Amino acid sequence: MKYLKAFWRVFIREIEIFGSHKSFYRLSLGLPILSFLFFVVLFHNGMPRDMAVAVLDQDDTPLSRQLTRMIDATPSARIAYHITGMAEGERMMKQGKIDAIVYIPDGLEKGIYSATQCDVVAYINDLNLVKNGMLTKDIQTAVTTFSSGIQIQFLMKKGLSEKQAYDQMMPIYFEKHVLFNPYVNYTYYLLSIFLPVMLLIFVVISTIFTIGVELKNGTAGEWYATSGYNILIAVAGKLTPYTVIFFALCMLMNTILFKYVGVPMNGNVPLFFLSGLIFVLAYQAIGVAIVSLLGNLRFALSIGGGYSVLAFTFSGLTFPFLAMDLPLQIFGYIFPLTFYVDIFIDQAMRGAPVIYTVHYVVYMAIFLLLPLILMPRLKRLCTDKKFWGKL
Amino acid sequence: MKYENLKLKWREFTDVFRNEFHYVFHDGGVLLIVIGAILIYATAYSLAYKNEVLRDIPVAVVDESRTPASRDLIRMFDATPNLLIAYKPTSLKEAQNLLYDRKINGIIVIPADYEKKLYRNEKINLSIYTDASYFLMYRQVFYDVTRSVLQSGLEVEWTRFVSSGAQSEQAKALSDPVVLTIKNLYNPYGGYATFIMPAIIMVIIQQTLLIGIGMVGGTWREKRLYQTLIPVGEKRMAVLPIVLGKSAVYMLISLFNLLYVLGVHYYFFGYPQNGAPQTLIAFLIPYVLACIFGGIALSTLFKYRENSLILLLFTSIPFLMLSGASLPRECIPDWLYMIGKIVPSSSGVDGFLRIQTMGATLSEVSKQVITLWVLTGAYFFLACLGMRSILRRIEKKA
Repeated sequence: MKYLKAFWRVFIREIEIFGSHKSFYRLSLGLPILSFLFFVVLFHNGMPRDMAVAVLDQDDTPLSRQLTRMIDATPSARIAYHITGMAEGERMMKQGKIDAIVYIPDGLEKGIYSATQCDVVAYINDLNLVKNGMLTKDIQTAVTTFSSGIQIQFLMKKGLSEKQAYDQMMPIYFEKHVLFNPYVNYTYYLLSIFLPVMLLIFVVISTIFTIGVELKNGTAGEWYATSGYNILIAVAGKLTPYTVIFFALCMLMNTILFKYVGVPMNGNVPLFFLSGLIFVLAYQAIGVAIVSLLGNLRFALSIGGGYSVLAFTFSGLTFPFLAMDLPLQIFGYIFPLTFYVDIFIDQAMRGAPVIYTVHYVVYMAIFLLLPLILMPRLKRLCTDKKFWGKL
Repeated sequence: MKYENLKLKWREFTDVFRNEFHYVFHDGGVLLIVIGAILIYATAYSLAYKNEVLRDIPVAVVDESRTPASRDLIRMFDATPNLLIAYKPTSLKEAQNLLYDRKINGIIVIPADYEKKLYRNEKINLSIYTDASYFLMYRQVFYDVTRSVLQSGLEVEWTRFVSSGAQSEQAKALSDPVVLTIKNLYNPYGGYATFIMPAIIMVIIQQTLLIGIGMVGGTWREKRLYQTLIPVGEKRMAVLPIVLGKSAVYMLISLFNLLYVLGVHYYFFGYPQNGAPQTLIAFLIPYVLACIFGGIALSTLFKYRENSLILLLFTSIPFLMLSGASLPRECIPDWLYMIGKIVPSSSGVDGFLRIQTMGATLSEVSKQVITLWVLTGAYFFLACLGMRSILRRIEKKA
């Protein structure tokens, strides 16, 4: 009961501080919501379509023009320019006017009619892997379709029926089953990582800020006294309001992802929500640990900020863990985000049985032990005046 | 008189320069950001992306055929650069569990009648399950499986044409009349670091300048150091020498950072260096100036030391996205992309990539260069305006 009352006193004190300082609103409400909005708008258009492609058509026959039209008709490519030389194409690519050049050499039609294999070359800018991937796929598909059409005509000329011709070509084909992300949507995918990254940045910074500002302003002693000189209660009472706010933001994020954007949710919903709560708590714990260790608001903010921005790279989502060297893979495990992404993939995308996911939740919970180890240190910061008032 | 005036301004400039220089180099927090951050971040990211590409992605093959022909096909899959046949489970169920265990990233099922159909000239239907939850892996698995299947299909067709009496060359043309060769330009191996690192580095340079300069500005306001710029009993210093004096310090720091990045980091990690030195210099000057003046303009708004970090840190990823280097520019709504142009990194990243990775000349990136000079001018004006309003406020109080 005594503890409960002390907790309540710290809790109320924190809410009063929150109400009286602009930085708190900004950090834990305004900016996170603003950043969520930004990413939703940014990804609103979805995948790139109709990227500009130039054609260098030296054949200039009905057949070559047909091929050009077929490339133009694909979703990602648009024939924007007809050029007369490679140098012109290269210059346009450097200027950013086009993303690919399709080169149809002289003699395409003649070659086709005389049954010799013909070559078409596509030069595709690989500066952007996403664009390159889409153009490669679509140009390849267009040329393969074109080639198949010619092949069928050949075979029919040889006296085969259309059905026989179809059976003759493409003897091995395959049914493609895309698992877990049926629309192969890059947008889903990036949005589901950027939003948690934004959330965690603000969790870490606001945790460091709210504790660090007590040190900076020399009010740490007052805070500690309010808790009845119990450092655990002081921390719990101080951070609980933020846990509530950030968990609410986490649920807002889930609403955006699953309801508005339409990311699949195939797994265990309660488990996923629980992970969200632990995700928030884990990053609060890290914030407490950083500010306790460094005992200085500004330095703790720099380190905490740096740490939280790094998390994205090491989550293994955009650039897979498998491709990193072992020390870097291990380094990746100091970020709760890494586990959260694993849980997201397992539960939301794959709908994996719970048993495959539980250990990630446990790993993430281990971060909660961090501040406990550092409580004596934080207690010293709150009692020893020499730590106060530093910028 | 005119000469005297100029001399005074010069003295003010050097005073501010010396003052700021001393200040920055005696403030560990600022140093950590304007110099330390670029070393730490550039190295950490580069190390993570060091291997550039992912090879040998583990997949499972469920071979229901178990014949020499199906084993040939499996060998073909295994020989591709991206695929590694890591498991040969006996059922699809078993394969799926491997997938949940994160042991594999795709499943290929070869039907029981594979060989039989192959010899009977019937169509064969393979089933391919690719895991799209990790995008890069999905793309590579899918690409290699598709290519191997097409390739083995062509071989089968060719054999059939030849056995029905066609010449070798003719059979080739019959099975595949038009062949597409794809040549990737500027990043031939599709390396991830080559793709993303130049953009990240440019954004880091901007962000560290904005945050660092903002931190100094905030500290000055908090500690009331701006008063020192107004010597008692004298007319306040003109704004121009103050802004230029501060900027000169950050120019110097940026010069050092860029020399490190382009001269050491780039060599060490082997990123493409196709830009002519004079083009790079001509491009980076307005970029760095726009960042510095933008930083000074923003810094006049911060009342506390920590504000710049709190308010600017989270913008790093959004700014990187707005540059169109990572997320394709075609994905970004046009109005947002245009608004994004007020951030130096939007044009900075774009132009730098074209020069340093693609080898563009200055005239080929003229759009970006002009934008950066416009930003430099605009931010210089805003920096002077902000500085003037701070000094005026102090004067009024005094």
